[in-house]
Parts: sequence; structure tokens; C-alpha cells
Amino acid sequence: MKLMHIAYRNLFRNRRRSLITASVIVFGAVALIVSGGFCESMFVGLREETIRTGLGHLQVYQAQFLEKDEDKPLQYGLDDCVRVAAAIEKTPYVRKTTAQIDFMGLLSNGDKSVVFLGTGVQPDREQAMGFSLDITSGSDISTGVGEDAEAVLAIGLAKSLNAKAGDSLTLLTTTTSGALNGLDVKVVGIFSTHIAEYDSKALRINLQSAQILLDTTKVSKLVVGLDRTEHTDAVSAQLASLFAEHRWPLATRRWVDLATFYRQVVTLFRAIFIFLGIIIFVLVVLSSSNTMMMAVMERVREIGTLLAFGTARRQVVTIFVLEGLLMGLLAGLLGLGAGYLSILGINAAEIYMPAPPGSTDGFAIVITKVPALFAGTLALMMVTLTMSSIVPALRASRLKIVDALGHS
Amino acid sequence: MTELIRLEGIKKQYLLGRSEVTALRDVSIEFGRGEFTAIAGPSGSGKTTLLNIIGCIDKPDSGRVIIEGHDVTATPLAALASLRRRRLGFIFQGFNLIEVLTAHENIEYPLWLAGWPAERRRERVNELLMRVRIESHRGHRPRELSGGQRQRVAIARALAGGPIAVLADEPTANLDSQTSEEVLSLMQELNLEQGTTFIFSTHDPRIIGKANRVVWLKDGAIDESLDISPMRRPAPADCVTA
Repeated sequence: MKLMHIAYRNLFRNRRRSLITASVIVFGAVALIVSGGFCESMFVGLREETIRTGLGHLQVYQAQFLEKDEDKPLQYGLDDCVRVAAAIEKTPYVRKTTAQIDFMGLLSNGDKSVVFLGTGVQPDREQAMGFSLDITSGSDISTGVGEDAEAVLAIGLAKSLNAKAGDSLTLLTTTTSGALNGLDVKVVGIFSTHIAEYDSKALRINLQSAQILLDTTKVSKLVVGLDRTEHTDAVSAQLASLFAEHRWPLATRRWVDLATFYRQVVTLFRAIFIFLGIIIFVLVVLSSSNTMMMAVMERVREIGTLLAFGTARRQVVTIFVLEGLLMGLLAGLLGLGAGYLSILGINAAEIYMPAPPGSTDGFAIVITKVPALFAGTLALMMVTLTMSSIVPALRASRLKIVDALGHS
Repeated sequence: MTELIRLEGIKKQYLLGRSEVTALRDVSIEFGRGEFTAIAGPSGSGKTTLLNIIGCIDKPDSGRVIIEGHDVTATPLAALASLRRRRLGFIFQGFNLIEVLTAHENIEYPLWLAGWPAERRRERVNELLMRVRIESHRGHRPRELSGGQRQRVAIARALAGGPIAVLADEPTANLDSQTSEEVLSLMQELNLEQGTTFIFSTHDPRIIGKANRVVWLKDGAIDESLDISPMRRPAPADCVTA
């Protein structure tokens, strides 16, 4: 305890120097907490947006769909999706399921035709699952089929055909038997996914309209919505058991396996965060090593006195290491406080960021308070400061008593 | 007087830049229990080196150091630290108190090192604070004390663990003459009361005059060793150096 006592008081010996070192630590902690919280906020936001704009938490396919390429549309589609959906919806944590058909073809206004990526959806079930679509004008599709078939176009696709809500367009595609087929649709709305590339091609029609267009009763997949994203892995395992039990040749994919863009964003931002962490680590190590080395140089005679009185060399090491540890702890705690206040301030300020690459809209910065990040930052600061003090501490402990006592 | 410390044929050389300086040459001397001995001599005569070797904080190039009958010349550093902790006390010219500790804590430190329990430490420190007449400054840090007060704390610290000998390197060099007198008187009192051996280096003739034994060093060798108690020996001109 005596060594801890000495180490603690030594922190306040040269207040200005300690303050500068503490400032570096506080700055580093704030940078880590805020940037980490921003990344986490983005990850969660992007994750939930990805899930709720149609991906769902899980997707169920016919197993062969994942193993082979299709020669014809929906060659490996799901046949009896109603029975499968009913069984899945009995599984714990599952909110609802919705069927989807993915197809592609040409969209024409009579004068111009462009390629589209279409999705046949069940809007009523999607709504019940909490899925949301950012409709920029008009409204979402209803359940109309046949001559009353409705479509919503992504903003880029609508722009390329100069289409707006109320216009009539024609979808052209091949049926499951390979024949060419067409369907007139009425544009009821324009939507945006905020991903420019996807917005240039996407459209949505009713599932039944899509089945009529493709001349099939099959669907591409069942999208499963859960009560919480954290239950994804558990439900995935339960579904695998369910399919095995019924001998259904089905397979599931988790949202994270399908969300390529999400994974790229997470990988990129994690790399940036690690890089930032390394910079802060180096900054803190250099700053605090210098401080500790100066502390050793200033206290050579005192170290000589401690050794003369019989203080063991390891005890001298302990004093300096404890100083580092305490500095890391105290300044780290200050950093956590400053980080917390910074988060409150930034969130209250509602600062808007410009649209990121590949996106069409800017967004308000929201920083999440991540307890693990707070704890990790404090631990990092304590470890960093302790490590920084080891070399100066060893140097202090190796001083020759006679030389140290003669030091002026 | 019972032998406490004996040095036999001690030699010590230092490198000063590129040249080798002989600090001690073939020094042999004994110190008994209860002595109040001054090691005198001009600057550079080897006083501090001799004290360092007696105090086991420096090792001789050759010769033997025997403390309480044990040859400690080849003793490992860790064991020497233990010996210093238990058996020796130190007083320095610059007081060398731990700046961040109060007077009380400075005196307590060697007791803590020696493993004394908290209650015994507290009693011993209180006793010493009263004995060196500094109890009203127990909570003061060194920078809040005068030079004389600091040296009193240093004396109390040196005596805390009940050492067999206290080694003081120019203990009055940084004090005015009146304070020097007071500090020396205190050391004398403690020497007489507790029988603790005091070995101190000095080149101040007034201080030398208070010793009951004076060892004169000249160019790293013992020039003369005189038991002068109770007489007073006039200081030779060559020891009055700045």
C-alpha cells in the first residue's frame, strides 16, 4: 500500500506535466469512444435498415438454389411455400414470413426500354413484419393483380424512363418455361433504397402479379422476420432442425451472409477504427514514456535514497509501474466522462453528414454509448500507460546507488 | 568497545573521464559500538567513498568489509539491501527526504520496508517525532520544512528501525552554523542515550570538535585516527575547505 501511496502522490508532483499526459489520454479516450460509438451506431442502423428493407433476418430457399445455377427462372424455387411458412411461423422468436420472387427483364414506356431487377412481394405481410420502404412519392403497392397490377419503381429507374406515379409501363420477362411474357403495370409510387446502384434498376410488384408474369406458383424464397436480430443464429439452428425433421430439402441463409454491402461497410469501418486505435496507442505510449522517463531523470537522487534504505529494485519498478497504471486509470476515467459528455453533445447538435459513397442521402450523426467500448477504452489506457512505464521503471531500478545519490 | 564494523585493506578506484582516480588505498579500520566518529579530511580525500563502502551501497575493488563479524564483501546486492534495511541508517548532506511523503511518512518508510506492523510503526514514529522535537510538523512535506527541520526528520528516519550504525555524509553541510550545532547536539544526545554508533563525514572543524573519535583521511588513505574524547582537538588548517 505504501508504494501505491507514493505512486499516487507522484502523479501530482509535476502537475503541469501530468496534466499534459492526462490530456493526451483523455483526448485518445474520447476519440475512441466517439468514433467507436459512431461506427456502432452506423452498423446497427445499417443492419436494421438492411433487414427491414426486404432482406429479413433469415431467408429460406430450396437447397439446390444455393448449390446450382438455374437454367430457367425459378427452376429451384419453393413449391409449397404456404405450408412451409406456417411451420416456420410456429418457431419461437419468428414474427412472420413473407414470400418473394426475384426476376429480371425489360421495363418499357413504349418509347424506351431499360433493364430492371424486380421483386414480387406481399406488401401486407411485409408491413406486418415491420418492413419499411422509403416511398419518395406516391404510395406502396396494394394487393391488385392482373390488369390492376401495380408497381413501385426505384428512384433511378423511374428517372431513366421519366416515369412518375400514375404512369403505365410494361414489364417484359421470360416465364419459367422460357416463353416471353409481358405485364402492364401502373406506377403507384417511387421509392429509394439510398443505394444508387440498386436504385437505378429496382422495382417491386405484387407477388401474385409476379407469379402471373412468370407463369408459376413457385416463389424464390421465404423471408423470415424475427422479434430481435440477436435471435438470428438461434432461429437459424431451429429451422435447420425443423427442415431435417420434415425432410424438406430447404436451407436457410442469415441476413449477415446475404448483406454484402453491410459486411463491406463493417470491414472498412473496423479497419479505420483499428488504425485510429493504433495511432492513439502510439501517441499515448510516446507521450507517457517521455513523461515517465522525465520523472525518472528528475528523481534519480530520490531513487538512490530509496535503494540506500533497502528498497528492493522490484519495489522501485513497482512504484513507476503503479504510477503508469494510476495515470491510465484516472485519466482514462476522465476520458470516459469526457467521451460520454461528447456523445450527448454531438447527438444533441444533430450534425448532418454528406451522403457516403454509393448512397444518395446524407444522414444525421448518432453516436451510440457502447458499454463494452467504454470498458475496453479504459482497459486500453491502463495497459498502455503501464506498458509505457516499464522501460523507465527498469531504468530507474538499475541505477547504481552511489551514482544516483551523487546526482544533482 | 565491542567491534561493530571492520574494513581490511580496502581499495577503490573510479574512472573520471578517461583517467582512473584512486579514492581509497589500502584502508583498514575498525568501528566499535556506540562510537561517535568523524571522518575528516579535505574534499576528494575519500570520505564519502569510505562511508558508502561502510554502508554497503558501494563495493570495494579489493579488501574486506566485515559487519558484526560477517564478511559482506561478496554478499549479493539483494542481501545487502536487506542488511541496510535492518541494520543501517543513513543521513545525507541534502537531507534526501521523499518529497511526496510527510515528515511522519518519511520516518515511517524504513519501518514499513522492514515489515513493522502499522500500530508499532505509528508508536515508533510518534516517539521519534517527539525525540527530534518535530512532532508539530508531522504532517508537513519536506518543502514545507526548514533545513534544520528536514535534517531532524532525516535523523529520525535513520534511527527509526533501531540500526546498529547511522552513517551521515556531511550532515551539516547545507545548514547554517546555529542549526548545524543543534543537529550535531541532537545526534550526540541520541548517541549517548541509545548507544547508536554514528559515523559521519565532515570537513567542518566545529563539527569535528564534537566527535569522540576522528579519522583523518588524506588522498584516500588514513592519515591519522585519534580518540580525542573528552578533549577537544584544534582543527588543522588543511581540513577547513569550502
